[in-house]
Amino acid sequence: MSQTFQEIIATTAVCLVALGPSAAVAEQIVVATTGGAYEKALREAWFDPFTAKTGIEVVTVAATNAEMRAKAAAMVKTGNVSWDLYLQGEIQAASEQHLLYAENLSAFCKEFSTHVDLDADACNAAGVRLLSNSTLLAYRSDAFAAAAPRTWADAWDVQKFPGGRSFPDFNDPWRVMAAALLADGVSPEKLFPLDIERALAKLEQIRPAVALWWKTGDQSMQGFRNGEYVVGQIWLTRAKALKSEGLPIAWSHAASFLVGDRIALIKNAPHRENALKLAEYWLNTPAAQAKVCEALSCKPPSGEAVKLMSPEARADMPSTTDPQSSPVIPDAKWINDNAALLLERWNAWIQQ
Amino acid sequence: MADVTNRPNEQNFRRPGGSVSRYSPALSLALVAPLMLLMSVGFLYPIGSLIKLSLFTPALDLTSYRKIIEQPIYLSVMARTFRIALFVTITSFMLGYPVALAMASLKRRLAAAAAAAVFIALWSPVLVRSYAWIVLLQRNGVANNVMTELGLIEAPLKLIYNEGAVIIAMTHVLLPFMVLPIFAALRSIPQEYVCAARSLGAGASTAFLRVTLPLSLPGVFAGCVMCFILALGFYITPALVGGPRTLIVATLIGQQATVLLDWPFAAALSTVLLITTLIMVLVFRKAFSRSKGFASVD
Repeated sequence: MSQTFQEIIATTAVCLVALGPSAAVAEQIVVATTGGAYEKALREAWFDPFTAKTGIEVVTVAATNAEMRAKAAAMVKTGNVSWDLYLQGEIQAASEQHLLYAENLSAFCKEFSTHVDLDADACNAAGVRLLSNSTLLAYRSDAFAAAAPRTWADAWDVQKFPGGRSFPDFNDPWRVMAAALLADGVSPEKLFPLDIERALAKLEQIRPAVALWWKTGDQSMQGFRNGEYVVGQIWLTRAKALKSEGLPIAWSHAASFLVGDRIALIKNAPHRENALKLAEYWLNTPAAQAKVCEALSCKPPSGEAVKLMSPEARADMPSTTDPQSSPVIPDAKWINDNAALLLERWNAWIQQ
Repeated sequence: MADVTNRPNEQNFRRPGGSVSRYSPALSLALVAPLMLLMSVGFLYPIGSLIKLSLFTPALDLTSYRKIIEQPIYLSVMARTFRIALFVTITSFMLGYPVALAMASLKRRLAAAAAAAVFIALWSPVLVRSYAWIVLLQRNGVANNVMTELGLIEAPLKLIYNEGAVIIAMTHVLLPFMVLPIFAALRSIPQEYVCAARSLGAGASTAFLRVTLPLSLPGVFAGCVMCFILALGFYITPALVGGPRTLIVATLIGQQATVLLDWPFAAALSTVLLITTLIMVLVFRKAFSRSKGFASVD
């Protein structure tokens, strides 16, 4: 009898010991990401080393950027917040609306303002810069024997560079209009405010050559693979992925727009302190940034991280130093102020 | 004599509301109460908040509705949405009725096999079925390859990312919703009616047109309304197989709700879609019951 009792005690003790550490790991952070290769890179270089160091578990939820925005807004409005951090595009992060749902991080950013290694705006009220990237002109290098397309004007020149074209149609039309204006001879300094009428008139010229208005990154890649088009405006990460597959794909930094992602802290986040620790870890760990951008060919916010990257990865990433090929930096304020108008005019034009 | 014993069943079918007369009003109410409660919490309340959101921000504000009327794009997209839904309903009916008729007249085992074919289509996810159409219709897809091999076409046709592809894919997704109600209606038509018509000298087609078809109209109505309403709200399929010229209301609502976070405007678009749909269904129902001499659609 006493034997059995002892057994029970022993088993209970073992169970308690087993539960102990898992109860400690119950400390966690919920991060919404866009999933896929992006999340995989973040997890390997950032989340897992962070968990190893602090014991705080990072749980991820996958959603598209638009879904994230809508869901974050709904969570804050209903007071039922289950996320801590979420990804936000640089442009949307610069909007006034963003700070209705994301916590102002100005106080948190103070400690980083003296970091000369980081981009000046790597940490601001809207959030922490994750990486910078670009949307640019990519093409099949096997389609053009002599000269390759370099500028947006070349992308419009179907005589000199024959073949199908592709442009994005994912509810964020400024980059297509901006490309049209640059092709029409507008100088990059005078690009914003965008002349919507002129842009749409220029787009009308290329419309017959457009084989696909892509909606998702996968779609933009598929058309290059099966030869539906030979010139397209796509994300650099996707162009790089095609090249890694062994496809003859090249791109031109001379026809590119700088975009990027921030990581924002949702208002009333359930694990606010831990989430800030994760953000701090990102900014203070150039090795993690370098590893992510090595995989995604992006530009990390830290100069130290850039140095840690391989020369090939550095050559692929959007440059901000070479004036001949530096990307156009969009006027986020103007785009945000005119977002509804841009989309309405775009919808009216695209469905004609 | 066997015919006489069958009579009461047929009368139940013919006279709607037969079951209601057998229960007391209080019991009937108690039986529907749980559903009513669920509907009011899960359906009426959200619809009410949606309409409120579209009208009050927080004071009464009709800007959203004015924008829908003043900007031509919203009405033209609305018109396209209804046109696509109508085409899908018509093609579903034309393809679905013969299937339902075959299912109803087949012998037991074959009928089960036909029903399984319809149900499997119903059970596979919309996303999978939409992607399957991309595989079939894309530039190097099955359809283009077969036609090129057969020498019917020289260059691949543009079969996808247009309105035709949207109608084909949506018809495929919605076909079971047309077939099943029609099948149910056809199954409950007593075989004797057709026999009677034939014995009185009607040919097969006359018997079908004057007996079977009119009696199956309630099923046709149910199938058409279901297809039409579901088609109006389709989001995934048009997004995947449609192109820039197949912009529909659901996409516009999605843009406003997720990209611009303009929820009052998204709510206004939803409300307009809801009200026009209700009006269309009422008109449809009137037209259906008037075209027949008896109240086939109740």
